[in-house]
Amino acid sequence: MIPASDSGGASAGEEDPPLSKRVADRYLKREVLGEGTYGIVFKAIDTKTGQTVAIKKIRLGKYKEGVNFTALREIKLLKELKDPNIIELIDAFPHKGNLHLVFEFMESDLEAVIRDRNIVLSPSDIKSYLQMTLKGLAYCHKKWVVHRDMKPNNLLIASDGQLKLADFGLARIFGSPDRKFTHQVFARWYRAPELLYGAKQYGAGVDVWAAGCILAELLLRRPFLQGSSDIDQLGKIFAAFGTPKPSQWPDMVFLPDYVEYQYVPAPPLRTLFPMASDDALDLLSKMFTYDPKARITVQQALEHRYFSSVPAPTKPSLLPRPPPKGESQNHKPSDFNSQDGPLVLSPQRKLRRVTLPQDGLEGNAYQLDKAGEHVKEVRHVDGTTGQSGSMPMSIDLGAVFGSRPPPRPTLNSVDRSHLKRKLDLDPEFDYH
Amino acid sequence: MAANFWTSSHYKQLLDPDKVDVVQRLDKEKGLTLEEFRLIKIHMSLQIWKLALYVKVRQRVIATAITYLRRVYTRKSMTEYDPRLVAPTCLYLASKVEESTVQARLLVFYIKKMYAGASSSDEKYRFEIKDILEMEMKVLEALDYYLVVFHPYRPLLQLLQDAGITDLTQVAWGLVNDTYKMDLILIHPPHMIALACIYIACVLKDKDLTTWFEELRVDMNIVKNISMEILEFFEYCRPDSKGNILIPEDRINAALNKVAAKP
Repeated sequence: MIPASDSGGASAGEEDPPLSKRVADRYLKREVLGEGTYGIVFKAIDTKTGQTVAIKKIRLGKYKEGVNFTALREIKLLKELKDPNIIELIDAFPHKGNLHLVFEFMESDLEAVIRDRNIVLSPSDIKSYLQMTLKGLAYCHKKWVVHRDMKPNNLLIASDGQLKLADFGLARIFGSPDRKFTHQVFARWYRAPELLYGAKQYGAGVDVWAAGCILAELLLRRPFLQGSSDIDQLGKIFAAFGTPKPSQWPDMVFLPDYVEYQYVPAPPLRTLFPMASDDALDLLSKMFTYDPKARITVQQALEHRYFSSVPAPTKPSLLPRPPPKGESQNHKPSDFNSQDGPLVLSPQRKLRRVTLPQDGLEGNAYQLDKAGEHVKEVRHVDGTTGQSGSMPMSIDLGAVFGSRPPPRPTLNSVDRSHLKRKLDLDPEFDYH
Repeated sequence: MAANFWTSSHYKQLLDPDKVDVVQRLDKEKGLTLEEFRLIKIHMSLQIWKLALYVKVRQRVIATAITYLRRVYTRKSMTEYDPRLVAPTCLYLASKVEESTVQARLLVFYIKKMYAGASSSDEKYRFEIKDILEMEMKVLEALDYYLVVFHPYRPLLQLLQDAGITDLTQVAWGLVNDTYKMDLILIHPPHMIALACIYIACVLKDKDLTTWFEELRVDMNIVKNISMEILEFFEYCRPDSKGNILIPEDRINAALNKVAAKP
């Protein structure tokens, strides 16, 4: 097979040749899937089980501080967490001085589902995705682990439709003696108000808030509260649920970064989620309770009427999913990021992997042509459908040129060069 | 951590006593006796403790590091895994796992300081950062990547509180520290070790807690057996008035030289 001529930056430098390379006598190395904060992820076949796996190669910090701290955290916790709704760490091994982590291969992630405009999510589908999310979280919380980085991009979807929590690089055991944690966790849009107010002692409630944001995002098909700064994020939260009164949340005024906001009343939740059922709205309001002590727990949420009332959650295997890679002929016009194949094992910080074309030469040419078309299509769509159509596009540009508030996916250099290449194909494209 | 011990990997990995204190085949071939094997483990536990005082880490980091060291030698030989390198590496790894990282270069600096003005045998304690980082990977593998360890300290405080004998905290805490000179943490659940230390502390300080122990509904035979083991250890390796355990240096060196010798 001809090696991919345009393998960009992903497999640059010290990488091994990507194809059919046996690692540790057990894994047949395949293509690179993406790059995370602490290393490269590639696909492989486990010759022992025949299973497809994703291997994270942990970069050693230039031989100074040994095994990456974040990776170590993930290993430590995932070795303790075994559940159908949590990503499985199958194996770990050193190879050529680098530590490799072997995970089950995941076909897609929830962000790709939400963003794929060809997918219609029925109330049953939404219920099913949320239920699996909460089940995984409940297991973590039972083991005293707070995930602290819940977002659609970290909820991976297996080929059998099971949703699994991944990316425990930020997770902490919250029974630890020094319970002072950093509040700089979560992508901002999923951050609970206590974190935005600088709380250092917080608990499982932060994950519940984030899960509420995920339910809202499933309903709206766009991120619910898109703040551009911490202050703005709080403003967005208060605009949606009303400014909290001290009677609602007594501890609020004692939080380190507490500032008073001008009072705004809460609009009826129904106006924000016109299509949601009463049960869904009730659950939402309980997950978005301001006082973390009064917020519903994950276990209580799972026992909420929403999950026992009709319609029943869709069976995981029947859930709509984006087409697995190679079949994605019909593309989503407005989104570069989520369509280039399966997204695997998201890294700690929002580094969004744009996977490179996997099928060698012809795949590449094809892909690039298409990308050119995309840009034109997008611009066309922009003119006609207005804001919602243009939103993801403008976000991607913002990341490339650094002129906008940070969007959800921060692009790494690989993605950047890939995107720039795409943009270069369209000379008319307006950069500013 | 307060998390659930009974569902943890630590619980699943508890070993039978007869699986713990066993000299590995390779070491046996070098002529290492069981007593020497024990001495080296005690000595290395003390070295970790000493080094930890320099770099100032929390107690549980030390405890975790020693647990790693002892776990490694239930699976690997000292011939292949030089205890003089494994010990600081375990401290390094434990500091990261317990979220109070000590930089490798700091560790190396203090190791050099600890053994400054060295005689020839102390030369062998000197390592570079590279050595520690290489060994870190090997230790991780030897531990099968299981890193979460529970310790008796937290249950100890809770139990003392519950029994209303917080005045015994210091004695009992010191006893828990001493248990890390043995392999108890690999064999028994941490709260049972804590109970044994409370039991001994009560005997030492003439407190009668019979009813409290009875109400706990734990197997007192196990508690008493652990207590006996601790007491036997003191017979074998008597701490001096300051609680320090002195092992004649020549015996340690003789033992270490056995496993270091090329075949």
